[in-house]
Amino acid sequence: MKIKTKIFLFISVLCLTHSCTKKDFEGPLIETLYADFELIESLSITNKNPNFSDNEQVGFHCSFNKPVEWKISIMGTSTNATRFITGFSSVIDSNNIFWNGGPSQIPFFSEEKCVVELTFENEIDTLRDTINIISAKNYENGIWVEGFENGFPVDGLVHYNSDGGGMTFSLANDDALLGNNYYKMGGRVNWDWALGAIDLPLNISDATQNPEELYLNIGILSDLQDLHTGQFINILISEETVVPFNDNTNNNASDIFESNMEVYKMKIPVDWEGWQLKSFRYSDFEPVSANDPNINFNMNPSDIRAIRISCQACPSSSGNPVCPENFGKDVRTDIDHIIFTVNSSLLDQ
Amino acid sequence: MKRNILILIVFLSAMSLHAQLNENIWFDGLSRSYFARDAIDKSMSDTLSAKNSSNGYNLLDLNTHVNPIKDIEIFAQLRIRNSFGSFFGSGTEINVRQLKATGIINNKIRFSVGDLFLKQSKFTLYNYDEELSFFESEILKPYRDIIHYENFYIDNRWRLQGIQTDFSFEFDRYIRNLDFDFFVTRPNGSSQINETTYSSDLLLSGGSIFSKINKKLSLSLNHINLFEVAASGTKNISVRNPVYDLSLLYNFDNTNYCLEQKLQTGFSSRYWLYSELENEIADSTSNKTQGMYFEIDNKYIKKDSTLLLKLGYRYVDPDFRSAGSQTRRIDYIDGNYNTIYPFYTNMSIPRQPSLFDLVSDEKLYNQDISSLLMAFNPIYSNILPYGDATPNRSGVYFNIKINNGNKFILAKIKTGFYKEVIGQGALEKRSFRLLKGALKINLHKSFNLKKELSLIASTESERTIREGDEVSSLNLISNHMNISVNAELAKKFFIQASYKQFNANGNEFLIQRDNFGNIIYYTPSQIDQKDHMLSIGTMYKFRKNVYANIHYNWWGLKFVDQPSLDYKYNRLLLILSVKL
Repeated sequence: MKIKTKIFLFISVLCLTHSCTKKDFEGPLIETLYADFELIESLSITNKNPNFSDNEQVGFHCSFNKPVEWKISIMGTSTNATRFITGFSSVIDSNNIFWNGGPSQIPFFSEEKCVVELTFENEIDTLRDTINIISAKNYENGIWVEGFENGFPVDGLVHYNSDGGGMTFSLANDDALLGNNYYKMGGRVNWDWALGAIDLPLNISDATQNPEELYLNIGILSDLQDLHTGQFINILISEETVVPFNDNTNNNASDIFESNMEVYKMKIPVDWEGWQLKSFRYSDFEPVSANDPNINFNMNPSDIRAIRISCQACPSSSGNPVCPENFGKDVRTDIDHIIFTVNSSLLDQ
Repeated sequence: MKRNILILIVFLSAMSLHAQLNENIWFDGLSRSYFARDAIDKSMSDTLSAKNSSNGYNLLDLNTHVNPIKDIEIFAQLRIRNSFGSFFGSGTEINVRQLKATGIINNKIRFSVGDLFLKQSKFTLYNYDEELSFFESEILKPYRDIIHYENFYIDNRWRLQGIQTDFSFEFDRYIRNLDFDFFVTRPNGSSQINETTYSSDLLLSGGSIFSKINKKLSLSLNHINLFEVAASGTKNISVRNPVYDLSLLYNFDNTNYCLEQKLQTGFSSRYWLYSELENEIADSTSNKTQGMYFEIDNKYIKKDSTLLLKLGYRYVDPDFRSAGSQTRRIDYIDGNYNTIYPFYTNMSIPRQPSLFDLVSDEKLYNQDISSLLMAFNPIYSNILPYGDATPNRSGVYFNIKINNGNKFILAKIKTGFYKEVIGQGALEKRSFRLLKGALKINLHKSFNLKKELSLIASTESERTIREGDEVSSLNLISNHMNISVNAELAKKFFIQASYKQFNANGNEFLIQRDNFGNIIYYTPSQIDQKDHMLSIGTMYKFRKNVYANIHYNWWGLKFVDQPSLDYKYNRLLLILSVKL
């Protein structure tokens, strides 16, 4: 019994000395979550005259009595450019919630006055303020692939189906996304998927980022006039390190995008009017020949050797009517401003 | 595939031939033929789902026991499964379902390597029963058997893979004996998340020491730790969840009855360790929680097994976290869909698990230890969703089991009165009332019939109340009622029927947690539903664990306030189960 007494005392001491919880409740208070919405601190903007070309930022601060879905809308009064920032919280903290000057999608902001609105889901309250952009953001910060400002790159290759109609694989300067020039890719090939492609060699062997940190950005122009509903851009990125970029000079295309090589792909359906800037994390690209056991798909940005940007569309000849509704329609997938960025997309930089 | 089957046949033939010559190899196992045909009830207006569907399979689990020497046994369970409708070879799966080596070193130390079935105390490592399984009728027992067998639920143990050893010492003074048991397992291995990111190995280790101090007094110590090995993956964050358990058991018995008193306590800690950081940043921890528990359990057992009384008090801290005992059999996480009609109505609404799915769908059930509290559905289990280890509970419980001398009546009652230790999202605490009762009347015992005739009735009620303001107050009542009859018409041939009904009414808040288990939001939920399940069928029992069962289920669910979401389905089921 002595042992029992000792053990019992030990347990009692253990229970008494080991602290129980000191909290009164766990989780957020329900009465706060479901209480009427109240503003505790009004919207404040840390920099109302930002110089985005000098990498200045605009921070936002506001606090409320409960977590809510909130949305900050920034609208350029001249360009109609827009930027949306959303979140769910009871505090908008200017250390975390800030704007670098980029839009959510094309068009870009310029030196202009912007209207800022803060709205809340299921609440009627709207807070407003203004920002005056002193200097617009530039979009040159990244690893350049091509902007076509100096013409088509001399070591690049263009190949397209010359039997098609109205093929537009050429430089143009009437409606560039940024700068003066862009590259037109389009035309009509009713009997085949491929219209054409450009192959550009790349050398970013000094890149230290991993695939999750690297984003490929590309501006794509289309129109909705007699839209070809099956048009898309196919981007291939090759990490083939043995075969030369243009091994066979007779085929007018790069030779490092073969199915037995380490090549990654991304398909972009194009179904909008005007320019859009699309961004893709490199790690989201998929292997072209994923089931080939002889290829070591070890994605590594520093091994990138070339990029192929293909214009493709659903074919519709009378003998092969895959999508008869597109018979005789012109494809338009023009491109501009192809650039790699680190850690975020170009618009979020 | 054909080649594999050929190799297997040759292997089995060789084993069989050898087994005839060598008694050190022996076989057992299980064979099951299963066919189910599900159909939408004619009253439903779902035109998108298949009007009816059928599926089934034959399977053979062949257990091979090899004793190369006296003290070592190699055990392998091979599964051959052939889905109905598939051709020989193309639809046949052959898997190694279990593999284990056990042995005794020098007649002193026992060891096991491979698939282990582990259990410790109810607060460290324990696989609690699923909800609504208090008293199952005979006709639905095949469903429950399949769920438990397919998910390796044996005796409230978790199936884990690793190594285990146990040994004991006997003493002639101070204490009588000391038993030791240790294990290291790997619930989850490192796996590739994407091209460059790998998750870490998740390990579960533990040990138990049990000592019989004297004839009446025993002491047991348990320790368990769930942890990730950061170096085995590319993430620099790894969970740690050690739990310590101590219990003291006092036994007193005389010729008529036995008294057992158990005092159990312990504590846990859980945190995430940030290690191997860049730029030689020192290791750090986050989201650390610590909690304790305490239980006093008193049992009175009549030695003729006619009466068992149990009375106890339990306190479990809100921050007590024990992955081994708080992992649920059913995870109500979004995306865990039913096998039968996972979507319904012409809007293709996901169908939440209902009474029928809980009874019949083995694929809803979980086999993996989780470091975070899994989601539960307060409709089916709100008081003790994580068993006795449910955090943030304190209260008393009282259980009775009565069995009259000639086994004419078997009655079980379980009650519990619990309260939250601290409020959840409110200063007011939830209070809980639990009442479970079951009665089995063996009429054949009373009327001296040679053939079995038994009637079973059971009920499970849960009530949750929280006072407070209009927003945070809640009141949820649920009741599960079950009536069944089992009648032996001819020798070994039974007619069986069962009716189950589940009603839930009131309101509750569904909890949302972040990646570290912290509560981040409460979603209010209005509940008013009725589940039903009617089953009628026959069973021929060749012998114990060998039976053929055919029955028909009519089941469905009614939402009182949303009749457009009601559903009804039917099922025809055939099972032939043979334990070899």
